Amino acid sequence: MSELPILIVDDEEEFVSTMVQRLRKRGLSSEGVLTGTAAIAKAADSDFSVVLLDMRLPDMDGGLVLQEIKKIRPESRVVILTGHASASEGEEGIRNGAFDYLIKPVEFETLLEKLRTAGNHNS
Amino acid sequence: MSFYFDRLTSFFRTKPRLKPAELQAAFRGHYKEFRALLTANNNALELMAELEQALTAGHSFGMAFVRGNCTALSVNIYKMIQHLTRLADGRYVELDHPFRTITRELEQLIAIRSLSTEGEVILSMKEIDVTKVDQVGEKMANLGEVKNRVGLRTPDGFVITAAAARKFIATSDLQVEINRRLKGLDLDNLEELYTVSAGIQSLISNAPLPTELEEAILAHHRQLAADSDEELLVALRSSALGEDSSNVSFAGQYRTQLNVSREFVGQAYKEIVAGKYKSQAIVYRQQRGYRNLDVHMCVGCLRMVNGAVSGVLYSRAPDNPRSPFVIIQAAPGLASAVVDGSGVTDQFRVSRTPPHPILHRQSGVEENDSAAISRRTLTDDQAAELAAIGVRLEEHFGTPQDIEWSIDQSGLLYILQSRPLGRSLSEEPPETSEYKPMAADLPEPLLIGGACVSRGVGYGPAFKVRSSLDLLRFPKGAVLVIETPYPEWASLLNRAAAVVSETGQMAAHLATVAREFGVPAIFGMKQAKATLANDTLITVDATAGKVYAGRIEPLLALAAPKPNLMVGSPVYKILTQALVHITPLNLTDPASPYFRPDSCKTLHDLTRFCHEKAVVEMFNFGERYGFDDKTAKQLVVDAPSQWWVIDLDDGFTPDFDPESRYIDLGHIVSLPMLAIWQGMTAFPWAGPPPVSLGGFGSIIFQSTRNPHLDPAVRSAMAAKNYFLISKNYCNLNVRLGYHFALVEANLGEFLTENYVSFQFKGGAADENRRLLRIRLISDILSEFGFRVEQKVDAMTARIEKKPGAFLLERLKILGYLLIHTRQIDMVMADEGMAAGYRRKIMTDLHTLIIPTTEG
Amino acid sequence: MATDLKILLIDDESDFVETTCKRLIRRGYSAKTALTCADGLTIIASGWPEVVVLDVMLPDRDGVDCLREIKEKWPTLPVILLTGHACMQTGMHGLEYGASDYCLKPIDLETLVEKIAIAHRESQKPGI
Repeated sequence: MSELPILIVDDEEEFVSTMVQRLRKRGLSSEGVLTGTAAIAKAADSDFSVVLLDMRLPDMDGGLVLQEIKKIRPESRVVILTGHASASEGEEGIRNGAFDYLIKPVEFETLLEKLRTAGNHNS
Repeated sequence: MSFYFDRLTSFFRTKPRLKPAELQAAFRGHYKEFRALLTANNNALELMAELEQALTAGHSFGMAFVRGNCTALSVNIYKMIQHLTRLADGRYVELDHPFRTITRELEQLIAIRSLSTEGEVILSMKEIDVTKVDQVGEKMANLGEVKNRVGLRTPDGFVITAAAARKFIATSDLQVEINRRLKGLDLDNLEELYTVSAGIQSLISNAPLPTELEEAILAHHRQLAADSDEELLVALRSSALGEDSSNVSFAGQYRTQLNVSREFVGQAYKEIVAGKYKSQAIVYRQQRGYRNLDVHMCVGCLRMVNGAVSGVLYSRAPDNPRSPFVIIQAAPGLASAVVDGSGVTDQFRVSRTPPHPILHRQSGVEENDSAAISRRTLTDDQAAELAAIGVRLEEHFGTPQDIEWSIDQSGLLYILQSRPLGRSLSEEPPETSEYKPMAADLPEPLLIGGACVSRGVGYGPAFKVRSSLDLLRFPKGAVLVIETPYPEWASLLNRAAAVVSETGQMAAHLATVAREFGVPAIFGMKQAKATLANDTLITVDATAGKVYAGRIEPLLALAAPKPNLMVGSPVYKILTQALVHITPLNLTDPASPYFRPDSCKTLHDLTRFCHEKAVVEMFNFGERYGFDDKTAKQLVVDAPSQWWVIDLDDGFTPDFDPESRYIDLGHIVSLPMLAIWQGMTAFPWAGPPPVSLGGFGSIIFQSTRNPHLDPAVRSAMAAKNYFLISKNYCNLNVRLGYHFALVEANLGEFLTENYVSFQFKGGAADENRRLLRIRLISDILSEFGFRVEQKVDAMTARIEKKPGAFLLERLKILGYLLIHTRQIDMVMADEGMAAGYRRKIMTDLHTLIIPTTEG
Repeated sequence: MATDLKILLIDDESDFVETTCKRLIRRGYSAKTALTCADGLTIIASGWPEVVVLDVMLPDRDGVDCLREIKEKWPTLPVILLTGHACMQTGMHGLEYGASDYCLKPIDLETLVEKIAIAHRESQKPGI
């Protein structure tokens, strides 16, 4: 696993803070943001091993955030994690370079596995 | 029909004297009530049939279906009573009493009950055995039993009870919102299903835990931690409590979280409670007839066992409940690798008899050298120890067991779970006598190999699923092709025709659920993904471990019907109990003195009573209002016949002279009556008795001449054969020879109002021959789309809510049968003659009717 | 089948009423919606609707109560009760107060249209 942190983009504050804590407990550093704008700013600012991206954000469409992040850092691994299951949205995401498409909720151990897989490809 | 008594009593009632115009208006008013009553009757009978069919059809249904249909049914019957009392100028109000009594019983059965949130919120594993199942769920009750009564080693810990979960949900008042989101959820729409599921789970996971509950959990956790120096990591395991979970596995449906540290125990607990609404759990409950309120999420909080090797143990071979050996699946690491389908396992067959020698071993990693396998997973001694435990637990629980176990780094064996082997797993192997297609008949398979983990044959287009995205795109009826049998694919099993997986074995949760749902499955089929392109149509013979291109009819013909998953479930039981108040028909004979309101014990009785009395009211209207002698017109065909016609509304042409005592067919515009008549007269009756006496018309007249042969006949209406008609309606009451028949039809402008119904009873021959005739008629009518019910020598047949053109053809069939099945009961015992009649009837009918679609 | 009926849907489930309304209009009916009993009564008072489809759970008022007021003021206007919450008592009270029919959601449009047409036909004076 690379040393770079994981970026969590999700408007559910509770989810983000718990996820950051849980990852830290397992030795992974991460940062959380609640909006698409903040996510794009973060991505422009620094590199992340994996971006865990929700599709429903308050300020902008998750698909758009994905495209922006891929523009800034074409090498970055974006894992979509959404509560709004949509095949077309998922297909578009994969077409636009998302690494994986997951539907909430995912068991933490499983998510960890997925993040590790995504991170490994990166290193 | 008991018109006789009604007529008698009506004589003593004052007859209202009305002017012709008022009379006509009153009659129309009555007819309108009558028509509304018939529509309600039509709805009621259809709803009853739907409820009854739900029990046998094997489709899944939820409480919303039962509650909705019972309510709609009751309301329609209430409507019938209302219309009848109006039709009968206020009589029959006493029907209200039986109606209230029956619906009160029904309401109690289908009511939504709220459960108590009282009781202990946490029990220690030390105080749990099977008697605590109502508090801790099946999984933890059995584990407590293994620990405290059998005395085997299980992980220490505690259980957060069903009452705790109810308290948690109640504190945040979540249930109303959850129910709202689930209402009307279309399980076939996977995107909707997953989205709603995620939303509900997030709702629960984000709700605050009641403070006392959180404190209690942490206090117990502290106690557990006190025994060790290292940081305590626990596994939180769901332990679903079903109202009756016999034969219901809930395998892998709910959530488990491993390696949970203290600060996340509360969050993990909420997530597991939320797991009650995982998408596959929602689908599974619906399929198996469990209501959401039937399932309570108890959560076991157990010290993690740091497994060196773990796996599953079956106390008997899954396909043979009498096998002399146990089966062990083992893999290095945690047991989850075996049950979630991801691990590579070694399989052992170990004798059930001490000293439990290993009979067969098979490595998952292609090294069949026994020393290598011992090093990788189990030694001979460990295998023997497990086999002994399997036998012991089977003896203790009285049924073959499916056991999860783990051996930790220091070599200590822990039991993590013990539950009955699934029903379909322990079923007898299929009869060897059954037809097996010769191998020569079959084409070359695309794939051979793997292990059958769920028997059967399935056909459909291949569809590969690798990710959640593929899962959303999975077409209904496709064959699920996967690399690894993860439990999350279980939500596809209600849509899949079969499963082919490249890896995995029968202990995987997905295999358990496939067996339960009767979905054929082969696991360990190498090259499946490379060979089976998406959308290729394939036949999967799981029993033989073969996959063929295309549709292989001889194999599919062997496929067993899918199990009825609903049988025995809470929803199924409620429906069964509800039907006791709905379908039995006690009022069968209108001539009986017990044919009265207080004899109505079921909703069916009420419909029967209301319908019967409504027809009588319409029949008697003329007499009650003082124009009876002109109401019934004698039908003239060549000469006056024994058929009489009463116009209820607009069944005669406008130019017909209402003063006339006779009517010919030219003046009749009732479509259903004309169709029946067409059927009656299309073919001459071939006897017996032999045709004689000047033409066909006289035969009909002759056979109807003397109904008083039968002492049961004592009603006025039965003395003649009456058609009660309007343009769209016909009620024909006939007695031909020795049998009684009633044909009724309405062909309105709306499908809701349309139906054809037929009742048939009696005969002159002995009971056996009468039954044979009824069966013949039943068969023929079923073939033409009627829903037939047969009770002893009486039958009823019905079709409703079909287009008029389709129903007119059915009426021709009934007209034909009225004439041509007369007295054939006398010869029904002769198989040759019976077959001859059947052939002739079918030939005639196919010439008679114009094929129409059901629309 | 008369397809020029004026239908008023009173239901607070806005998704449901909007879709149903659109689909009725597509079939040639005239349809209006009201999200509350009070709004529904205003539209009825204008004399517009020929048939009313009424939800029994309304935000401002109990649906059966709303029905009672409609039937008191406009006894010949046919009202069909439509509900997502099956309840026998509501159904029977509804019929007692003069509802033409009682149906449960989900209902397919075909069936609803038939029920509307039948309710309208039955509300006409006999002999016409």
